[in-house]
Amino acid sequence: MLYSFWESCWQERRNDAIKKNNNNFIERSVTGALSFLKESVFAEEYASKKGFLQARDPRFKAAAALLLLISVMLAKTIPFLAVMYLFCLSLACFSGIGLRFFLKRTWVFIPLFSLFIAIPALFSFISPGDALWSFSVFGLKFTITRQGLFGAATFVLRVTTSVSFVILLALTARHTELLRVLQVFKVPRIFVMTMGMCYRYLYLFIGIVENTYLAIKSRIGSGVHHKKGREIVAWNIANLWQRSYQLSDQVYGAMLSRGYRGEYRTLNEFRATSGDWLLIGIAALFFALMIGANRAGMV
Amino acid sequence: MKNTVFELADVHYSYLGKFPALCGVSLEIRQGEKISVIGANGTGKSSLLALLDGLIFPDTGVIRGFGENMSEKVLNDAEFSKFFRGKVGLVFQNPEVQLFCPTVREDIVFGPLNLGVPGEEIRKRLDKLTETFGISGLLDRSPHQLSIGEKRKIAIASTLAVEPDVLILDEPTAGLDPLTSRHIVDIILQANIEGKTVITATHDMHIVEEVSDVVYVFGQDKKIARSGSPAEILSDDDFLRENNLVHLHSHRHKDKIHAHPHSHAD
Repeated sequence: MLYSFWESCWQERRNDAIKKNNNNFIERSVTGALSFLKESVFAEEYASKKGFLQARDPRFKAAAALLLLISVMLAKTIPFLAVMYLFCLSLACFSGIGLRFFLKRTWVFIPLFSLFIAIPALFSFISPGDALWSFSVFGLKFTITRQGLFGAATFVLRVTTSVSFVILLALTARHTELLRVLQVFKVPRIFVMTMGMCYRYLYLFIGIVENTYLAIKSRIGSGVHHKKGREIVAWNIANLWQRSYQLSDQVYGAMLSRGYRGEYRTLNEFRATSGDWLLIGIAALFFALMIGANRAGMV
Repeated sequence: MKNTVFELADVHYSYLGKFPALCGVSLEIRQGEKISVIGANGTGKSSLLALLDGLIFPDTGVIRGFGENMSEKVLNDAEFSKFFRGKVGLVFQNPEVQLFCPTVREDIVFGPLNLGVPGEEIRKRLDKLTETFGISGLLDRSPHQLSIGEKRKIAIASTLAVEPDVLILDEPTAGLDPLTSRHIVDIILQANIEGKTVITATHDMHIVEEVSDVVYVFGQDKKIARSGSPAEILSDDDFLRENNLVHLHSHRHKDKIHAHPHSHAD
């Protein structure tokens, strides 16, 4: 009796542990990845708002973003970069994007892309120069130099401004518009079509994964051992591959049925307005300023 | 015989050469007819439609479309392919298959664009279909954002944009609510009134009488078990029950439960 009591207690604790740790890990991974994909790739909350950038022709918007990005790359001083960053933030404001949300969205990526690279550049062993501050760790002396600090700050600000412009473009344009812009910029049509189909069917497959996961959960409950969980995930991947293979066959049939013969054609319906010319004008002005300032050695 | 659109003689088709889908099908479809293909699951209805659309080809037997012996070689000919794709439109059972473009607008214009229809004409067709289907609010949306009924409508619109003479529909009302189902039937009937040949594969016995002049019933042996007018076919309860097309429907009248065949002949 004591043994069976002990066994039931142990089993209960084990099940709890499975629920709390292993299964939660699988569930969190699956649902987290799916919801991130849905939110970041498919949410068009800001793209469908009324605002300055949303009203722009996607061709002009993408061209302006490209010019601004090149200008950011050419800028070598903090004041110039700061002006461009402020311009980006004001564009976000005029486009109905909350500053808090926008800063949160952009600054998530900054440590990833720049801080880890910029931090070593602060020190004298990478950037020798005038010492600003010295300290010791385990007997090793570290010195932050003025040149290092300036270089790291410039780098971080450049990355921040570039990432902000790209995120601003992605937030204010629908994916479908961006795909059409790629065609206007002479990216091979078959490449654009493949990207469009990936985007289109990714959502379908997310739905299938979600439903499969729910179906499994409804039959076997939430207490899945991590080993079984891994098996389920592997089986899911294989199942999804099979489905995507079948679907690709059927989609090709549907394309043939409507006259597809290897060349993808599209209908161009872009229309430029004065606002578009204003945006591209400002971007061109920044670009020209940077080129001029570079030649004069001012930036 | 002049107005024959499709003619099938003893057509056999199997998947991967070993899973039979059609075992000796012969039929003739004339211009302007309304044809229904009914049968239980797995009796070869979808395979027949894919054959009629020139997407698959018979293992043995002959299929002639618009007077031409349809084979892979013939369909690979650019000129005939363009002619045939402009003449025949297939609405797939699963609209997810058919709506592969990033937006509804692009899906609708895909067919005419690929068939070389001039831009101005495509815009006219798009405007007409947008009005007919009441889909102006959906044009810039991605197909994944639509409901099943909306997807089905767009799939039909994308096929009608080609302005085919023959409209083939695979289970057009499956999974739809009664109102959307009604709307789809009206669209099918309108297409027929405009002179199109309409071929519909369906399980939905409610719509068979309306969408057919001739009904072909496919049996489990993957052959045509019987063909005839909708009145003849739908009034034969024993035959329909043998072919899994009606069921005994039991329900309560006051305190008595009684059962009778459930069909929709009228």
